[in-house]
Amino acid sequence: MRAVSKVPDRTFETRPPRRWGLRTVVALVGVGFAFPVGYLAWAAVGLGGEFWATLTSASTLVPLRNSLLIAGSTAAAAGLLGSLLAWLVVRTDLPGRRLWKTILPLPLVVPSFVGATALLAAFGRGGLVPFIPRVEGFWGAFAVLTLLTYPYVYLPVAARLSTTSASLEEAARLLGKGSVTTIVRVVVPQIRETVLAGTMLVFLYGLSDFGAVSLMRYDTITRAIFSARLFDRAASLTLGLVLAVLALAVAAFERLGAPTRTAPFATLPLRYPLGRWSVPATLFVAAVVGVGLVAPLAVFVFWVVRGSATVGVGFSGLGDSLAFLVEPTLNSAGAALAAGVMAAVVTLPVAYAAVRLRGWVPAVTSTVVNSVFALPGLVVALAVVFWAIRAPGALGGLYQTFPLLVFAYVLHFGAQAMQSSRAAIAAVPRRYDDVGRTLGVGRWRRFLTVEVPLMRPGLVAGSGLVLLSTLKELPATLLLAPIGFETLATKIWGAAEDGFFAEVGITSLVLVALSAILTWLLVLRQASVTSPPPPN
Amino acid sequence: MKRPLLALLGSLALLLAACGGGQPETLTVYSGRTENLIGPLLERFTAETGIPVEVRYGQSADLALLIDQEGDRSPADVFISQSPGAVGYLAERDRLRPIPERLLGLVPAEFRNADGLWIGMTGRVRTLVYNRDLVDPADLPRSVFDLTDEAYRGRVAVAPANGSFQDFVTAMRELYGDDAALDWLRGLAANDAQTYANNTAIVQAVARGDVPMGLVNHYYNLRAKAEDPTIASENSPFADGDIGNLMIVTAITVLSTADAPEDAERLVEFMLGEEAQRFFSEQTFEYPLAAGVEPADVLPPLSAVGVATYDFDRLGGGLERTKELIDESGLEGP
Repeated sequence: MRAVSKVPDRTFETRPPRRWGLRTVVALVGVGFAFPVGYLAWAAVGLGGEFWATLTSASTLVPLRNSLLIAGSTAAAAGLLGSLLAWLVVRTDLPGRRLWKTILPLPLVVPSFVGATALLAAFGRGGLVPFIPRVEGFWGAFAVLTLLTYPYVYLPVAARLSTTSASLEEAARLLGKGSVTTIVRVVVPQIRETVLAGTMLVFLYGLSDFGAVSLMRYDTITRAIFSARLFDRAASLTLGLVLAVLALAVAAFERLGAPTRTAPFATLPLRYPLGRWSVPATLFVAAVVGVGLVAPLAVFVFWVVRGSATVGVGFSGLGDSLAFLVEPTLNSAGAALAAGVMAAVVTLPVAYAAVRLRGWVPAVTSTVVNSVFALPGLVVALAVVFWAIRAPGALGGLYQTFPLLVFAYVLHFGAQAMQSSRAAIAAVPRRYDDVGRTLGVGRWRRFLTVEVPLMRPGLVAGSGLVLLSTLKELPATLLLAPIGFETLATKIWGAAEDGFFAEVGITSLVLVALSAILTWLLVLRQASVTSPPPPN
Repeated sequence: MKRPLLALLGSLALLLAACGGGQPETLTVYSGRTENLIGPLLERFTAETGIPVEVRYGQSADLALLIDQEGDRSPADVFISQSPGAVGYLAERDRLRPIPERLLGLVPAEFRNADGLWIGMTGRVRTLVYNRDLVDPADLPRSVFDLTDEAYRGRVAVAPANGSFQDFVTAMRELYGDDAALDWLRGLAANDAQTYANNTAIVQAVARGDVPMGLVNHYYNLRAKAEDPTIASENSPFADGDIGNLMIVTAITVLSTADAPEDAERLVEFMLGEEAQRFFSEQTFEYPLAAGVEPADVLPPLSAVGVATYDFDRLGGGLERTKELIDESGLEGP
């Protein structure tokens, strides 16, 4: 099999492509994504923040170590969990896989502070479900973050698995290799890049999270950033800069990873019969969905039902009108769709260049794009405010408008689309493009008719991740949306802030329902109807 | 001939009316109070005055940062804050416009800024919340200073990253000095006080029995009980006059960037009027500060709570030092 995967991809390549146009576009995107880090550096220095002193102080080092610990272990766990789930759903005869396919991405849309509150209400000491040991601290944060972030791995890997070749696996089986050997030696190398890309996203998200870690009472660097944000701006911004530099370093390190092995595409991936593993596998998937999605949903329903006795202002449970959620639902859907599409479009050149071109511009740009995702949303939002309010003329007029809001979403979540696209592009064998070139087909036509269809599941999965992340986004929406523009996430925040749990419950239920519909319509159907051209 | 002329004059008059004063400008409010706790009142204000209002909701601290960042170009006219800390931050940066004397007089002097830069709208009282199944009322502390006693080891929840806890510590510093405040914070840390994210998280944890008692604002347990009267958490004020019963005011201010300060001041006046104060008392379980409105029946009267008073003016400037003391005590973080 190794020999097969080493088919020389560069047969027709005579000289490395220059592509100055593409490089320019990539550089411009890189400048856009550098705004947040630029703001942090500018403001921290301006306020007299002392980078090295902050970095080496004990009150930074312990939370920083905790941040790395929680982000690293969550990434490892979510990487395994997401890959395993993707494999079970896409490549086995798991019962009910169509249903699981729609449901499994959904935990991503639950805002982490709501997910943590709900899981504490369910499994915390004295919670609805008697459970010992109590869920809190490192393990509590680990559980919540893993269950809410595995879709960062699951979605792109499922997309990748649906386009990997059956022929290699069939060949391996014909050569007498068992299922396990085939998977380890054929399937794993093909999805490795995608798994790493998704795991990276989980890691960066883990660094940026505040909601889950603070509610689970695990002390990380984001706690220090938030609790100092008003009264020690210099410290808060410098800590943000530390986080950004850390993310830059990790993202740069990730690029050293070995390139993926590409293989011919096939229309129908191989499905493995689970046999006697069918029941345990179903139970496993059900358990993940049960804790990660059904338990929070059950708590939401419980809050709504309990709230029916509520007196006074706010939503009062069953029977109360839901009209107040109509506009936020439409706003959420519109913003998420716009961000999903824009993020994929804006980061595609970066992803493409990072895979196909040499030189430092694509490398630096993709590292910068990744770093933004590790920053807390509030930092990204304030950075956009900082630049937008100073922008001259017409650009300044964009402040607190819908386009600027979408720009902020793309800035914050662009890494999700880029990581997914990069893995998808890396998986497209280069010789398809080369064949087209020798046949005299123009560059754009080659790209649109040959490569894009092959990458499409990966691109759509990346858009889907951005869409789900945008649906739950809070800080940028609160600070940058056109005034009066409310989303389901801001409604949930407002209700949770002052303890209106019935309202948190009903709004979260609507949010999950909207996500399910959008995921099914836009991500799964789009990703599954692809029919790549037959190779050769 | 006469009719078209009249029509022309009529439409000119209408046009003039539309341009000058007849069409009030929209008032832009940045509100740290969430929609449930102020939205209905803003609608009433527009209905009564004809002044349209737009609101941006967010956390008080974040909105203060936003206004600071926006500088001279801030679209905000009015800022409503959940705590004096966030308005203090803006006052220090000269972002607030003095409120006229006649409005300041609506609220007792101890609940407003001496320079007239902000004015209290409602009060929230610091209190102890405890789980009645886990704690015998006889064992409850008389003073917030008692919480460092061995009897309360590991049994008290606090939210040191939260604005209202920080405001409370600032008040303690003002009344008893930095050393006493630091001693108390260190005592809590040494006594294994449990840190939580915020007031709501503490009330939830106490109601579940995760922790027996905690320091919060009085509002949160009343809200929790409004949705579920069966929960086991109860508010228990400390002894009369104890600083543990400190009143924290939620504030309203006019920003120096306000386009139409008179309209902004009308909103301030409206929020201190009887209708609004009654709403705060009856619908949001807070202490009204003006118009002679009494607190709701579910609340102990202020006299019974024995609210501690202190000079709120010093809050804004003092919070940076408060943060340092909290960090130094080791209560929060490593």
